This record gives sequence, structure tokens and C-alpha cells, in this order.
Amino acid sequence: MNMMLTTRNLTKTVKLPEQSLTILSEVSLTVNEHDSVAIVGASGSGKSTLLSLLAGLDTPSEGEVELAGRPIHKLSEDERAAVRAQYVGFVFQSFHLLPGLTALENVMLPIELKEEKNPQNKAKELLVKVGLAERLNHYPHQLSGGEQQRVAIARAFASDPKILFADEPTGNLDTGNGEKIIDLIFNLNQQLGTTLVLVTHDDRLAERCQRLVRLEAGKVVEDSVNPAQVIKTDTTQEDKVETA
Amino acid sequence: MRGMAWRLFRRDWQSGEVKVLFFALMIAVMAMVAIGTITDRTHRAMGEQSSEFLGADYTLRSPRAIEQSWLDKGREGGLQLTESTGFSTVLAKGDEFQLVSVTALGGKFPLKGEFEIADKPFTRGQNVQAQPEEGSVWVEPRVLAALGAKKGDEVDFGSIQLTIAGVIVGGPGQASEMFNVAPKVYINEADVERANIIQPGSRVSYTLFIAGDIQPRENFIDWLKPQMNKTQRLTGGKEGTPALQASIERAETFLRLASLISVVLAGVAIAVAAGRFSRRHYDYAAIYRCLGMQIAQVHRLYISQLLIMGLIGSAIGVALGLMIQQAIIVQFADFLPKPMVPINWAPVIAGGLSGLVVLIGFALPAFFQIARVSPLRVLRKEMVPQPVSSWLIYLLAIFTMALLMWWQSGSLKLVGILLGVALVAFIVIRLMAWLIFKVGIWIGKRGSTAVRYGLGQLKRYPAFTISQITAFGLAFIIMLSTVLIRSELLSEWQSQLPDDAPNHFLINVQPSEVPNLENILAEQNVETAGIYPMVRGRVTGLNGKPIEEAVSEEAQNDGSLRRELNLTWVEDVPKANEVVKGEWWDNAEHQPDENGVYQLSIDQSLAGRLGVDIGDVFEFSIGGVDVKGKITSFREIQWDSFQPNFFMIFEPGALDENMATYITSFYLPLDKKPALNTILREMPTVTIIELDVIMEQVQTILDQVTTAVEFIMLFVLLAGVAVLYAVLQASKEERVLSATLLKTLGAQKKFIRMTLLSELALLGIFSGILGVIGGEVLVSVLYQEAMNIEPVLHPWFWLWVPLIAVAFICIAGWWGLKSLLNQPAHQVLRQL
Repeated sequence: MNMMLTTRNLTKTVKLPEQSLTILSEVSLTVNEHDSVAIVGASGSGKSTLLSLLAGLDTPSEGEVELAGRPIHKLSEDERAAVRAQYVGFVFQSFHLLPGLTALENVMLPIELKEEKNPQNKAKELLVKVGLAERLNHYPHQLSGGEQQRVAIARAFASDPKILFADEPTGNLDTGNGEKIIDLIFNLNQQLGTTLVLVTHDDRLAERCQRLVRLEAGKVVEDSVNPAQVIKTDTTQEDKVETA
Repeated sequence: MRGMAWRLFRRDWQSGEVKVLFFALMIAVMAMVAIGTITDRTHRAMGEQSSEFLGADYTLRSPRAIEQSWLDKGREGGLQLTESTGFSTVLAKGDEFQLVSVTALGGKFPLKGEFEIADKPFTRGQNVQAQPEEGSVWVEPRVLAALGAKKGDEVDFGSIQLTIAGVIVGGPGQASEMFNVAPKVYINEADVERANIIQPGSRVSYTLFIAGDIQPRENFIDWLKPQMNKTQRLTGGKEGTPALQASIERAETFLRLASLISVVLAGVAIAVAAGRFSRRHYDYAAIYRCLGMQIAQVHRLYISQLLIMGLIGSAIGVALGLMIQQAIIVQFADFLPKPMVPINWAPVIAGGLSGLVVLIGFALPAFFQIARVSPLRVLRKEMVPQPVSSWLIYLLAIFTMALLMWWQSGSLKLVGILLGVALVAFIVIRLMAWLIFKVGIWIGKRGSTAVRYGLGQLKRYPAFTISQITAFGLAFIIMLSTVLIRSELLSEWQSQLPDDAPNHFLINVQPSEVPNLENILAEQNVETAGIYPMVRGRVTGLNGKPIEEAVSEEAQNDGSLRRELNLTWVEDVPKANEVVKGEWWDNAEHQPDENGVYQLSIDQSLAGRLGVDIGDVFEFSIGGVDVKGKITSFREIQWDSFQPNFFMIFEPGALDENMATYITSFYLPLDKKPALNTILREMPTVTIIELDVIMEQVQTILDQVTTAVEFIMLFVLLAGVAVLYAVLQASKEERVLSATLLKTLGAQKKFIRMTLLSELALLGIFSGILGVIGGEVLVSVLYQEAMNIEPVLHPWFWLWVPLIAVAFICIAGWWGLKSLLNQPAHQVLRQL
């Protein structure tokens, strides 16, 4: 199986006036293609920092990150942005839709950035998949929280990402909507064969992943495999190959 | 991607700051276009009007006949040319003689404006553009009185006789030649030769009147100038009305300044709104970056938005500006010269471009900032972009302002003053805002509950509060200054040209006639500006040396030394004169000193030109008698006061009373004009100069300038409102947030309202006070440095400005907050 994401001794320190503070310390991880990994830990354990480094939103103080074979710790801002456009999708806790664009336009944006043809058709298709066929031309403020997150998910998958990063995707939602969103992410993930890295507090969410990485004070203290999920996913993959 | 900027612009239109940006930009462009076009059009139209004083766009005066090749060249260019021959001669009827100044017209005249020819003196006549027919003459009224003639009579002219065909009651050249002793008559050129009146040695001057479309005309003038010799003199249209020049130039400076100020104010509003726009868009830019947009792409996205805004805003501004200027031109058509000159597109294009310049200068740094946001902001809200160096922002804004100022005023000195003042002022204003705030806190401690809570709100973010006071204060300072300067200009003009400004001059009054004249005027209840004796004399020496040796070569060519001067003597300093150096003689007996030298007062600017000082002694030749005068004072003279003014004034006793004639000026309303007939009948040698027609024109010009000044104020006020609104918008979020917090904590609506209103009112008071102090200082500086007006304080505004500030900020601020305050707290929080 191909490696999608590799880190070696990933460290992030910030300089304070008196001393320097280590937020993340020597994290080495490997995530294979089609894997789903949950990064868990208490507040301040460094989860979000790890996510930002993995996705190339930030650069490490030391260590290396390779995303889809590209050494993103060596790349410039714009080169990292190009990698993101090519390989990465995001789902955020606070949705981060562009309020000036309709649901459809929000989903079209990453497709347009990849300069693919017919962005509108593909975006419509995705919005239908997430159950928003009737809401294409609504603006974010006209949608409920759950609906907004579904738009965000459609947008995340719009660029055919190899890897999807999700930051507390259910954090701003009630239990019912949270469940639906979890289902949606995992279903699409399986259908489209995406690699999934998600940061969460939510045990239900973590349980659905094949692998669990636990951080404490910036260090990996647990890296375990969820056997049930591994088997399930593998079958799905095979199903997918057969149907394709 | 290409459509995205447009899509985003459409959506962002809903947000306040885009509207402010747009509105401010529109005002700036509208002001530049409307003012630029109106000043340009009226300027050119006034040029046309003053051409009417001259009778042409240009006159070329020459002691020899105008060369045929010049005439050919001019006519080739499609210009209208009329030649005339001027000389002095005597008209006679029976035993009566009158020396007259003849203009023999070789063609249609005047080329600009019209003659008003009547049948009888002092009545209204018919307007004509022509030349007298062969064998006929048009005369000034006093010729009729002197000769005892009337229309239709024949008069002797050289070897022939001419028929009086009309009386000139209005026409060109009336202003510039008011001290021409001989009355004017116009004849047909053909009669000159017939009368055989010009002999070798006669003093004759030839004048070519030139008129035509600008381009060929200016081409011709440019061609002509190098060919002229020193004895020939070219006069352009603008020099026709020197008395008005200062007023009009001052008005134009004011208009340009005002339009500039409205642009700069609009710039401030744009900067404030752009800052808020950019802060609100950090999140979106972070998402774009996160989704993989390159920095350059984000830049392009926002700069395109800025350009879309700039182009649409400028286009609407240009359209509105043109509509406004057209509306003004139509509305005030009666005051404006006819036909109105067409629009010149240069100021229109300049106005439209200035919109883009302002937008780029004031908004670009903020917009540029947006793309610099880190994509990490999607995870960490506190990530803000590295700020663009504030020096860069200020430098760009200052450079933009300087560029616009220079463009508008054309004066680097003015730009320097304004920039210097602006720079110092900004620091001082901020310091003052801080001081006022501190004093306000100290006083407010003793205030009511509402005041204390309002203060509490302001004290939570002191730096932000001081910025708000500074911005509001700045807007009030500029608005107040504009109002004050405008009032000052208007009242100055009114005092300069009051309704009863003298509109008639009488000269050549014999000393024996003075009592009679005083009686006649008193009977008519006419007040004079004083009756002054006048003696003509030539300056022959200075400090014992011949004048040619005593002064510089440049000074030798000064008109005052090359011709006879009008000299007078008076006891007291005349009206419209001010002693600025030395001392006026006291009222003791006037005796010459041991060397036979009398005291002399001289015009300050003439003294400057001749390089003389207090204590220098001039020698004059007056009717063959030598008189010496020692300079004891310099006077500043208000030359446009329409009363007799003199370069040199002697103390009484110095000049021979018997050699003097007297001069006076007075206001005579139309219904009293027949009194002039009485004067002419009883004192036939008196020369009457009627200025009432010219004065009417002067009044009209001032009226139209006044209207323009009033109108321009509106732009400044609108731009000021845009600043106030932008700042209120920019601070709205903080205000709503704290009000919502209070609400969440269970505060009553009434309490929240009271706190907010008290906060807004305090901001109003603080910035109003700042506006008053800053406005007074700025106006004083401008009065002294730019406009030469004595500074005064305006206590009336000390109360009004803070009151208006409180009212405006409370009403507008409350208006923006009202709807948000009525919504449930969680909805409000979601919108922020």
C-alpha cells in the first residue's frame, strides 16, 4: 500500500520572550493511502498544530513532512498551496464557508482552482450526494449549521482530494446533526477512496477510524489500530474495485 | 475564476464598508468633476466676458500701422480682425470746441460684446456690433454737453462735417480708460482720409482687435509675439478687469482647495472603510489560501474587486458630477455669460482618474494586506497578517494627497503648507484627542450614572477611542474650516463690493466748481467718497540725483516714472488706505522743512518697485514748478475699492491749489441718473465716467462665484459625513458585541440604550471640541498664509459644533445599531 503521509521527528516550538515553548515534539507517523486516522487528545495537546503541519498550513520548526510524496516542509507558501489544491480537502469545526458565495459556488471554488471543466455539474452532483439538491442557490446564512457543514463536506470532496483533513467536524453541531455528518464523511470517504485524517474529541467519531493516534503534551502516547474498522474498510475497498 | 471578483463584489455590496467605500469614491469623483468642469467653464466664460471689456480676445496696439502680412496671416487662420486708428483732435460746433479721443474703425466693432448706442445721454439704447457709417460719428454724452449738440446735429471734423448718429452709453473699453481726459468718439475709418486730419508728426496709435476660436487664435498669437517690437503692446482678455482678478483668483483657490479637501476626506473615509473591509476578509482569504489559492491569485481577486469598485464608482461619480454641473449651469443661466462655453473634457477625465488615484492611494494598502493572511487562520482565529509597514501606508496616502493637491492648486507652496500643516496637525490632533479624552474622564467621574457607564465603555479600549475621536474630530475640523472660510470669502466680497459701491467718477472738476458740485450732490442725497484735488506731475529726481541715475534700470521702466502721475494732498488717511510703515502727518500746520521739502506718502508696492524707503526725497516737476517730497509713510491701498486712489499723496500746502482739478466718486442709482445732466449743464468741463454697467457685470461675476462656493460646501459636508459614517461602521462591531454581552448578562434594554447613547454622545462632545479647536487653528493659519486675511475667532461655533457633533453621532450611530439590538443575542453573535 502506498504511503500518503509521512512525518519524521516533527517538532514545533514557538519562541516566547523568556523561553521557547515546545508544542509538538518529535512526532513520526506514517499514514497509508485509504487509511482513516483519528488524532485525539486533550485541549492543548497539540492536535490542531499537528493537523496544520500535516496539511502544510504551517511549517515545522524541525523534522520533515511528506504529503503525497512532496516534501512540504521544504516548500514555499505558494508551493504548499499548490499541493493543497492538488491533493487536500478540508472540513472545519466552524464550516468556513464563504458567505459571499452560494452553496453551489462554494463547492465550485476548489474545482475552479484546479481548472477542471464543467465545475458546475460536478458541484451539483456532490451537493445532491450530501442531500442539498434543493439548496444549491442558498447562501450560507440561509442554511442551518448541519446544512452548512454538509456544503463544507461537498466542497472538501470537490477537488477529488487524495487526503481529507477534518478538524472537529462535529464540534459545532448537536448530536443528531453530528451523527449525520459523521455518516456522510465516512460514506463519501469510502466511496471515493480518500485518505482521512481527523482531529476530534468525539469518541463516536474516533471509533469509526481504522487508527487512533493519541497526543499528550505534544507527544504521541498511543498509536493503535481499530481492527473492526480495518476489516470493514478493506471489504469496502474490494467492493469498490469490483464495481468500478 | 474571472467572474468571481464580480460575484464577490455583488455580495459584498450588502456590507456597510463597501457602500462607504463606494459612496466616498463617488463623492470624490463627483466633486472633482463638477467643480473642475464648473470652474473651467466659468473661468473660460469669464475670460469671454472680460474680452467684452476689451472688445476682443486680444488687442495689439502699435505706434505704426499694423503690417499687412500680419492681417493676412490672421485672416488666413479664420480670425476676425478689425483695425482702428486712434488720435486726438477737436470737434467743433459753432463756437464750441471739445478735445476728443477719436477711434476710427476699419470694420465691425466690438468683436466681443456690443456697443449700446442711444439717442439721448443717460438713457438705455440699442445694442449694436458695427462701425459708424461714413460721415457719421458716435459720441460720449459729455461731448453733447460740451458742444451743446444733440443727435442729428453736424459737427466739424477736420475739413469735413460729421453727423452725430448716436450717443455711446455702453461698450468696450469703458473701464480701462476711465482717466482718459478727452471723451471718446467713434468714426468710420474712411472719414480719416477724407478729413485730411492726420498730418506728419501727429500722434497716432493703431490698434488691431483680434477675436476667434481658441486654437487658431492662440496659434496666431504665438506666431505674432516674436514678430512684435518693443513699441507694440498685446493685451489679452484676462487683463481686461484687473479689479476683479484678485477676487476671482481667491475664489478659484478656494474652490480647488474645497474640492481637494472633499477628496482627501473621501480618502480618509475610503481608508477607514478599506481597513474594515480587509479585516473582515482575512477569514475568507485564509479559506482561499487553505483551498490552495496562490497568494498572487488572492491579490488578483481583491485588487480586481477594488478596480471594479473604482471603475463603477468613478463612472457614476463622473455621470453625477456632469449632471450636477449641467444643473448648475442651467439653474444659473441668467448669471452666466451667454452663450456658455461647451464642456472641456480634460477636467472630466481628470476627475474620473482622481477617483482611481484616491482609491489606490488610500485603499490599496489595506486590500494588499488581505492576501498576506496565513492559511493557518482557519484553525487559529488570532492569526492576522504581518501588517504592511504603517510608514508605507502613510507615505502612499501622503504622496497621493500631495499629487492631488499639486494637480488641483498648481502651487507647490500651497501643497507644502497643506502637507506640513496636515502632518503636524495629525500629531497635534491625536495628542489633543488624547488630552480631551483624559480631561473628559476626569470631569465625567462626577457625572450621572449614564455618563459614567458611557465613559466606562470608552475607557475599555482607550487607543480605539482616541482613534475614533481623532477621525471624527478631523472631519469636524475640515467641515468647520470650510464653512468659516466660505463665510469669510463671501463677507469679504460683499464688503468689497457693497450695493452702494461708487459707480460714477467725476474728474476735471475746477476748484471753483467744487462748492456747486457739493450742493448738487447734497440735493440728491448722494454721498461721495471724498472730493480730492488732483495735480499732474512728473518725477524728475531722487535724493538730489536725476531719476535716471538714482534708480535701477528696471525701475526706470516703471510706468510711474515714464508718465505724469496724479498727485493729491489730504489732511487724513483716505478710506481704503492703510499706513503700513512710517507715520502719517499730524494735523499741525503744514510747513516745508528748512530745505523746502514737504512730507510725502507713497504706495507700498510702488516703493518696493522703485527701491525707495522712508526718508528718501523725490523731486517733481509740476506745471514747470519743482516740488520736493520726503517719504514719511508707506500706504497699503485697496485698489479695487472704486474710489479715487493715489500712488503719491502730499501733505496739504505742498501743491498749488490753483493748478488742481478735483476728482470724486459716488454711488448713483439708476433713477437719479438725470442728475448727471444737471452737473454737465452747469459744469460742462467736468468729465463723468459711468461705471454702473461694469459694476453690474462685476456683481454678476461675484454672484456666480458665490453660488459655486456655496455649492462646493455641500461636497465637503457630504465627504465629512462619509468619514463619520465609515468610522461609526468600523466601530459598530465592538459596540454591538459589548451591548450583546450586556444583554446576555441580563441587562435591561433601557440600560443598554442609555449606555450606548451616552458613549456616542461623549464621542460627539469630545470630537466636537476637537473640531472647534482644530478648526479655529487651521483657519487662522490659512487666513494668514494662503489668503492674506486677518484671523478672527468665531465663538458662535464653539457651542454649535459640539452640539451638531453629538446630534449626528448619536442619530447615525444609533440608527446603525438599532436593528441589531432588537435581535436575539445568539443571532447577533452569529452575524459578527
